[in-house]
Amino acid sequence: MIRWFGLFLLIMAAPVSAAKAANVLVTDISKDHISIRSNFTGESLLLFGAIDTSIYGPVDGIVVTLRGPNENVMLRKKQKQFGIWVNDAAYKLGPLPGFYAVVSSQPLSALVPFDEQRARGIGTESLQANLLNGTAGEEEKSEALAAFIRLKENDALFDTRSDRVEIISEKLFRAEINLPAGMPVGRYVTEFFAFKNGRLIGYQTGELPVDIVGAGHILHEAAYDMSLLYGIAGVVMALLMGWGVAVLFRRQ
Amino acid sequence: MQIYLPIAEMSANIMTLIGMGGLVGFMSGMFGVGGGFLMTPLLIFIGVPPAVAVASEANQIVASSVSGGLAYWQRRAIDVQMGLILMIGGLAGAYSGVQLFKLLRTLGQVDLVIAVSYVAFLGVIGSLMLRESIQVLLAARRGNPVQARRPGQHSWVLGLPFRMRFRRSKLYISVIPPIFIGFFVGMMSAIMGVGGGFIMVPAMIYILRMPTNVVIGTSLFQIIFVTSAVTIFHAVENQTVDIVLALLLMIGGVIGAQFGAYAGQKLRGEQLRALLALIVLGVGLRLLFDLIQRPDELYSLTRLGVGG
Repeated sequence: MIRWFGLFLLIMAAPVSAAKAANVLVTDISKDHISIRSNFTGESLLLFGAIDTSIYGPVDGIVVTLRGPNENVMLRKKQKQFGIWVNDAAYKLGPLPGFYAVVSSQPLSALVPFDEQRARGIGTESLQANLLNGTAGEEEKSEALAAFIRLKENDALFDTRSDRVEIISEKLFRAEINLPAGMPVGRYVTEFFAFKNGRLIGYQTGELPVDIVGAGHILHEAAYDMSLLYGIAGVVMALLMGWGVAVLFRRQ
Repeated sequence: MQIYLPIAEMSANIMTLIGMGGLVGFMSGMFGVGGGFLMTPLLIFIGVPPAVAVASEANQIVASSVSGGLAYWQRRAIDVQMGLILMIGGLAGAYSGVQLFKLLRTLGQVDLVIAVSYVAFLGVIGSLMLRESIQVLLAARRGNPVQARRPGQHSWVLGLPFRMRFRRSKLYISVIPPIFIGFFVGMMSAIMGVGGGFIMVPAMIYILRMPTNVVIGTSLFQIIFVTSAVTIFHAVENQTVDIVLALLLMIGGVIGAQFGAYAGQKLRGEQLRALLALIVLGVGLRLLFDLIQRPDELYSLTRLGVGG
């Protein structure tokens, strides 16, 4: 009897869980890869999609994130010594994204509780990193992590704005993310979240490769992989340039 | 028009960089100074990482010293033998300097050492230049002829062992002082991104007692080799040479230097020399101010590459 009741409950629950698995988002990006050329001064990336309102009705809001590859960083804090400001404490932190954009249609806190944000890894406040050198108290570590976020924001490598996703007549949305000139290369991950009543009802993810192309790419690679040849090339270029100009100006 | 500098990892305006090269080149052509000691701080001011500024500027100086050196070569105003001896010290100094630079980078102190070195050198050189030009200006106003400094007694350092005859300079002196001077200047070149002519030339005149007609040519001659070595060592050890940046500075620099040399022959030098002294002091003071003033942001960030 109890077993039958259980089955009954399962059948009753089925449409609900089916609905839970239903994804209200269909998404796309304006580019399938980003190429940094020598004239790259940053650009704007458009991420957009459609919202299926037939199951839950209109969503409360959309969050779109673009996350660059993880890397380790060294943070140094200046201290005044002998009258000048000198790098003192050093914190090696990682892994942390080299680029991170979190844009949304409303402030994150209005869409999703912080626990949920942290569980899904949304937003700069849910970033976690390990201290990879020495020892530091929790407070010191979180101060360093906050400084990391601040520095990244200053360089436009972290972008958290709650007015960059526009929802058009409940069914369509478009998000804009600015890609700065100094963005690191690698495999980027996009994530789209649709929230209603603090619950996730739609999710999509994708990839966006970012690489340097053209002369800049070749030079960057050469500087690291063939550094001796690269250095000699720099010197030869300078010798020819200096000689050429001297000859040219003597003629005139 | 913007261009992405692949090693500095920043975007900069092409005309700004060529213009900076031109301006500094003009001044160096006019006054016969290298210009590295002005260009490196300027690059730091526009946001180029100090380590990249130093290494790329060394690369640029190769071009400007070839350009200037050729003229002295044709006038036979180079003591090649002395240049080679200075170069032995210079190459060793360049190598040691780049190794020290690498160590300082891992310690996170290279930016500080670059800034402090510049404050010290620009302060001393600017003050000396200013004092000299004020004296000259005052003397000219009083109508007194300017007394050229006379070499004093022969220094004991020149009588050290390993003496060698330098035919072009008409000297018979120990090779230890020139090797030592070359080493010091080579090290400075590696850490500050300068040719070091502003130390080398006075050292040749007042310590080595070389005749003044060969000092600038000989200095340029050895700068070509030492800055070439600095460029290659930095490229190999620190990957901080930005060829694109160096190329743009070269274009401006070599052209500016030609016009500067022309202007230098036409214009009266002493007021301009005082002006250069003030510029040197101003750049030094700005760097000092940046060290003393509490920074807006106490933290700084270095990327360490892809992590786990």
